[in-house]
Amino acid sequence: MTLSRRNFIKQSGLALTFTVAGKTMLLTPRQARAGNIPFAVLTPEEVSALETICDHLLPGARENGVAHFVDQQLTVDPNDSLLFIKYFNVEPPHVDFYKSALKEINLLSESIYGKGITAIDKAEAEKLIETLRDGKAADWNGPPSPLAYHILRNDAVDVVYGTMEGFEALDIPYLAHITPPRTW
Amino acid sequence: MGKAEKVDVVIVGCGAAGSVYAAIFAEAGKRVLALEKGPGRKLTDLYSSQIWARRLKWGAPHVFEEGKDSIWYNFNAGHGYGGAAIHHYGVWPRYHPEDLQERTLYGKGLDWPVEYDQIRHYYDQVQEDVGMSGDAEKEIWRPPGAPYPLPPLPVFEHGNILAKGFTALDMHTSPIPVAILSQDYKGRPACIYDSWCDAGCPTGALANPLVEYFPRATQAGAVMQSDSYVSRVLLDRQGTRATGVEYFDGKGERHEQPADAVVIAAFTVENSRILLNSANDKHAGGLGNSSGALGQYLMSHPAVTIFGMFREDTRCYLGITGGQLFNQDPFAKEKNKDAFGSRQWEIGLGTKPNDLLGIAMSRADLFGDDLHKFVKQGSRHLGVMVGVCECLPDKTNRIELSNKQDKFGMPLARVTFNLDDNGRGLWHQAAEEGLEIFKAAGATEAWHSPPGGQHIMGGTIMGKDRETSVTNEYAQLHDVPNVIIGGPSVFPTASCVNSTFMAHAVAMRSAQHIAKHWNQLIIAL
Repeated sequence: MTLSRRNFIKQSGLALTFTVAGKTMLLTPRQARAGNIPFAVLTPEEVSALETICDHLLPGARENGVAHFVDQQLTVDPNDSLLFIKYFNVEPPHVDFYKSALKEINLLSESIYGKGITAIDKAEAEKLIETLRDGKAADWNGPPSPLAYHILRNDAVDVVYGTMEGFEALDIPYLAHITPPRTW
Repeated sequence: MGKAEKVDVVIVGCGAAGSVYAAIFAEAGKRVLALEKGPGRKLTDLYSSQIWARRLKWGAPHVFEEGKDSIWYNFNAGHGYGGAAIHHYGVWPRYHPEDLQERTLYGKGLDWPVEYDQIRHYYDQVQEDVGMSGDAEKEIWRPPGAPYPLPPLPVFEHGNILAKGFTALDMHTSPIPVAILSQDYKGRPACIYDSWCDAGCPTGALANPLVEYFPRATQAGAVMQSDSYVSRVLLDRQGTRATGVEYFDGKGERHEQPADAVVIAAFTVENSRILLNSANDKHAGGLGNSSGALGQYLMSHPAVTIFGMFREDTRCYLGITGGQLFNQDPFAKEKNKDAFGSRQWEIGLGTKPNDLLGIAMSRADLFGDDLHKFVKQGSRHLGVMVGVCECLPDKTNRIELSNKQDKFGMPLARVTFNLDDNGRGLWHQAAEEGLEIFKAAGATEAWHSPPGGQHIMGGTIMGKDRETSVTNEYAQLHDVPNVIIGGPSVFPTASCVNSTFMAHAVAMRSAQHIAKHWNQLIIAL
């Protein structure tokens, strides 16, 4: 069966265009992660930091492909962006915001715990996130840390709960105008 | 550079006001071209998703927001066919007569150049055109006007639960007045109450610009053109008359579009920006700015969202995004304690798990396992309503040009917005009252949001006096009358009332008047 872009979006709730070796594929962020689709703008270190902090902010964000979602959306025109950051008074390109925030989060972790964000445990992460959220990070040189907290937290919420699968997990009806034949 | 064939009217912006001007002028036999900077969207492009909904919101060119308070420009503004109204919630109460005479009646704010009785007919006409639903009798605060053409929308558990709180405090509720169909109407289907209004309504039950006025316009011969970014208005040598607009197409190529009349309906900030960027030796401070008022009196409604957790299943994911019930008990401007201005409640908002107004964001402090637990509980038991407050016009709240430029070399906009003591006082009253209502309704816990901004008005205000305003009562620039302004940027006061219905009514009045007196008002200038 041929699957049109429109139908695929209806089925998945969040299918994005990924380009690999010149081939264009429509995948959900979760599928992109499972398929090890290369990243476009984020470095491996940034990807690890993003997945880690988002998974602490909302467990499940990593598996649901938050890094692929953010990375792919950082390549599109600001008007077409699906990222939560779009609502805030942050001048594009937004890749600068993410790179700076992730760098500062890693530095904060190192300054508090002597190890990077990917190496800290759950309890340590909770304290670090509270520091971010409350704007109490010392020597912070990135975008305002409470804003970084909000943006990353909501990216995590988007991939975990903003999809048809997310609604299903909450046991509430998705109620799309045209009922999709299946979820992903 | 391309120079196109002259049209009678070129409209800048394919949103709510632009759609009305396009329909009325085209039906009057004018050749109409409507230019839109964003994509040419169809109803079938509106996906039921809060993530995909963000494509409908403003992203660029960037608007720099300064001052203590945000107008939430990117969230409120739109991008592409339909403009901001493609993702608006369809809550359409009327301005009250006193909203239009604040300076005369109270010595506050400003007067409009028209009174309610001069607008009333156009409210009635627009509500008949689009098919509004409501109950005029139960809406006891409603100003005079024709009854709604359709009965009210149904009220679900969410609305009924919250209504108990109002009743317990001797406050009244009515069905919410909306531009959403409770029954099939003129070939359009009734709402199915799935609460995806913010993502755009693909069925046409919610009256966005692609549903009523643009179809009428194109049927009458108007042409809509997407990916056309208007940078400035072009003038004749004397500077007394607009000759068209300059725009850039999707490939960045510059064009000139000649026209007898120019309608600037690109939403509040862009309206002022385009006029400021149209400055020349005859209009050094910007087109239409001989008064110095261009860009001034920027307004946004201070809003507080009340959240509460209830034992009952609220089914808050049902209904419409804008609410199920309505209250304007605190509308009397001089009776809100120590703050002047009006307030209203929109009750039982349809709420999804994610996004700015979603369940997860209602407790922005939570994360980790606590956030999972909260979203799970909230998706079944959350109650939500929003209090909308008046913002008085203040010339220091303004739109100016930034020293940064867009990709075509045109200065970007920067806005300065500081809520005054009245607006802040009304907001605090609403927050306090809202929590009382939720407790009276049986909430096991209740809390409120930080201040938010709804609707954006002002910048090109209308007035009788050309020394203090930008346009006349028909939204024509005092200085260059064949330039007409569309949208809430012409409002001299904000009331607490949602702006889209009034934007339609004002545009309808202006368009009909100008079309009727075309030769006198446009050609013979």
